[in-house]
Amino acid sequence: MSTARFDELIHAPTRLAIVSLLAAAQWADFKYIRDELGLSDSALSKQLSILESAGYVEIRRRFVGKRPRTSASLSAAGRQAFEQHAAALQQILARSRRDAGARPAVEADR
Amino acid sequence: MGDTQQPQPAGTGVTGAEAAAALAEIQRRQGQVIKAVLVPGWYWWGMAAGIVAIGAARDSRDLVVQAIAIPLAALAMAVLTVAMTVPAVRRRVRVHSAVQPDARAVGAIFGMIVLVDGVILGIAASLAAAGFRYPVTLGCAAGAAVLVIVGPLVNRYVRRLMLSQARQQTNHAPQAGGTA
Repeated sequence: MSTARFDELIHAPTRLAIVSLLAAAQWADFKYIRDELGLSDSALSKQLSILESAGYVEIRRRFVGKRPRTSASLSAAGRQAFEQHAAALQQILARSRRDAGARPAVEADR
Repeated sequence: MGDTQQPQPAGTGVTGAEAAAALAEIQRRQGQVIKAVLVPGWYWWGMAAGIVAIGAARDSRDLVVQAIAIPLAALAMAVLTVAMTVPAVRRRVRVHSAVQPDARAVGAIFGMIVLVDGVILGIAASLAAAGFRYPVTLGCAAGAAVLVIVGPLVNRYVRRLMLSQARQQTNHAPQAGGTA
């Protein structure tokens, strides 16, 4: 069980989508991520750079023939941060459900 | 993002509804990766057509027809299998080992193969013993029908298993986001 740790960097919608996609993958091609998320090349590059700077994503650039091919994968730190973030979201959800359940009881006591 | 690695209390202004939406988004994106490696629906129909073609060729009792049609049908089924695999390779994504199908999925696929073969052999042998015409064609048609029905069910089962493994990976409770 991971420690819950809310991560503002991962929580941004586009980055959450990228990290979630990569969490289920060993690695994914740049074009695959771009097409699945419906992003432009520049938007995806920007978000991947941010995640790479944070040490969450590893970018691999290689050539297949004369064509450059870029793929991305979650680093160990990125995977851990993602798991902790998911646990934090779970915790927030559980707390909100608990509070919603407790509220009518408090109001009934008045 | 802070540099501290200390666990923080979950509650940074994010509401329960926002957390549920984020968890649903996580599951949706993981489902996209899983879907990329599953068998497409048309594959079952193609394989079923190949099975029926082999059965019909066998019942023709014509050696020339059998010598041409059976290898052709087998080749077509092999081409279909390659065509099903190649787009998955071209998509350039590899499912994480923690999410890959486990022994239960392999068991389900093996069970489906045994069921289809059992239906084909059982019906063909019974019809042949009862003196029906075209027993192998009818047996293969029944097996093909089973494949077309059971194939997508097995696909759905494998998808569910993989999604559940992905959920375990991120410690999601089964009700997370309500989109399991």
